[in-house]
Amino acid sequence: MKPQTFAIALLAASAIAHAQTQEELLRDGNGGSTDHVLTYGMGYYQQRYSPLKQINRSSVKRLVPVWSASLANEFGEQAQPLVYDGVLYAANVKRVVALEVATGRQLWMTPLEWDPGVARVVCCGLSNRGVALYNGKLFVASLDAHLRALDVRTGKEVWKAKVAEWKDGYSITSAPTVVNGVVMTGMTGGEYGVRGFVDGYDPETGKHLWRRHTTAGPGDKGGDTWPGGDAYLRGGGSTWITGSYDPDLDLVYWGTSNGGPWDARARPGDNLWIASVLAFRPKTGELVWHYQWTPAETFDYDGNNENVLADVVVNGVKRKVLMHADRNGFLYMLDRTNGKLIAGNPYVTVNWAERIDLATGRPVETEVARRLRAGDKVELRPRWTGGKNWMPMAFNPNTGRLYLAMLDETAVYQLKPQFPDYKPGERYQGVDNTTAPRKPGEAWGYFAALDPLTAKPQWKISLTELPSWSGMLCTAGGLIFSGKPTGELVAIDEDTGKIVWQFKTGSAINSQPITYTHKGRQYISVLSGLAGGTSVRRETDGKVLPGGSVWTFALMPD
Amino acid sequence: MKKAVFLLFAVAEVAAAQDSGSRNFSPEQIKHGSEVFARHCQACHGVRMKDPEGAFDLRTFPRDQRERFVNSVSRGKNSMPPWGELLKPDEIDALWAYLVAGEKN
Repeated sequence: MKPQTFAIALLAASAIAHAQTQEELLRDGNGGSTDHVLTYGMGYYQQRYSPLKQINRSSVKRLVPVWSASLANEFGEQAQPLVYDGVLYAANVKRVVALEVATGRQLWMTPLEWDPGVARVVCCGLSNRGVALYNGKLFVASLDAHLRALDVRTGKEVWKAKVAEWKDGYSITSAPTVVNGVVMTGMTGGEYGVRGFVDGYDPETGKHLWRRHTTAGPGDKGGDTWPGGDAYLRGGGSTWITGSYDPDLDLVYWGTSNGGPWDARARPGDNLWIASVLAFRPKTGELVWHYQWTPAETFDYDGNNENVLADVVVNGVKRKVLMHADRNGFLYMLDRTNGKLIAGNPYVTVNWAERIDLATGRPVETEVARRLRAGDKVELRPRWTGGKNWMPMAFNPNTGRLYLAMLDETAVYQLKPQFPDYKPGERYQGVDNTTAPRKPGEAWGYFAALDPLTAKPQWKISLTELPSWSGMLCTAGGLIFSGKPTGELVAIDEDTGKIVWQFKTGSAINSQPITYTHKGRQYISVLSGLAGGTSVRRETDGKVLPGGSVWTFALMPD
Repeated sequence: MKKAVFLLFAVAEVAAAQDSGSRNFSPEQIKHGSEVFARHCQACHGVRMKDPEGAFDLRTFPRDQRERFVNSVSRGKNSMPPWGELLKPDEIDALWAYLVAGEKN
């Protein structure tokens, strides 16, 4: 080999080391190397399950922090970090950092700058839930609705695309995802009269490839579920949680938010495809099927919560299913090949609907919902924040159970006498909503293990001090990891539901723990930093202070 | 004791002097303020300023600090974004009138 050829080969090899591939994405959380965490949800199925078991029921007592790094951010940490080739990538609304897994030392830091006015169009806390990796690039959305590609080795910007105009109410808080050579991003703004969409871009150039709108227009099938006129153009259906993906079916599953305005009387009809899950093609955005969780949604029951994919046995038959714990209080199982309902059961107290009709797939609404829709002031359960909010659940494919943090509150809810008038970039809700007083000692929420088919709990931990807004991580070591707003990362015995280990980090944990290996050692990493949403601030009431940091844990050597 | 009572009285006098004019807000201005509040502010500061859910409880805002209020609203403060480029001066004045007048129920 000539020296020149050798140099080129070396260069190519180093490029490959950073050029994380589609094959690796497909195998992430699916038999691929445990040295990497490459996708939101730890695998396209978003099960947040790891086969690692070095940290287990008996060894967990030796679990200790090995490093912590500041993120210098007071707005809150919700992101799931990614790990590739010994480097951890973390993001918040202010910056992206690359840290060495072994030492916690910073390799690079790239600021995400945006006009402070953007915060006017972000309803519920200034947040960034993570990044995507593909082919030597890191993809991240900034709050001002721009998608950026950074060089994964240096953090330098390669391209930047304007996804939407923030002054019209559009922002982005979700992690992008890369599927089949397309980088996709959702958006948010359901409180500001936006028209929801998912966008596809070329990861190499940032060229816009397609837009999948989430409200049906006059020419679309389902367009007749909107009144005439332009209601669908400001009808909501934002897409603020990253979709999951089935490579065999080549379908992406993406949830959509509440309708705009919140008062559904302003937009008579079911309003497809708000408060729904859409199954579409990643190459084109072409819609294949949809299922609407809450027709004519008027409760702020966003349908964005993650859609976890698995192949499970139902009545003796192995089915390709999608599982979803909706804000509306029902836990759903759908056939993900066609969107047909398999099961829909309440997992918290629900008073707006009696049940989900298995034949029609529609909720059967109660007198509470009828009175609410008529303009009466009612006590609504769950509260608009839902039986579960964005914090993702985990699924153990071996036990077939779901693990999640649940919320249990009651709203006092009333549609305003007058519809709001639409002005771009301004609130478009038309509801007075407050929280019913809480009885002393009453649980704010639960950590729970649920049967996905019946929603019956195997165990439940009552959270009486404060609720949890943390994602879950399930490991083959028999441990579930999650967090508390008081800052503890907790390990729960998967079988008994007992907290067997905890460590207090610097601020609240309202994010998404991950686990991976480096040089044969199992690590757990999580971001700490009180989120800025009104609910969390109300609950913690000044008792927990913000301030972002990354924490990484491993077993203390013998 | 007498001295303390006198001092309290004096402080009250000064406070009254500082928010001079606050009792002269017109009902129209206060109503306008309540509408601006309902549109832009209530999502964080609570319906009719009640139940502020972790945001600043405006019912406790010092009535003698109009300038601080106008600055905070216009330029932003802590988690609150700047509103100066969206709200007109008369809307911020109306918000102040609504805040000072308070909610009656």
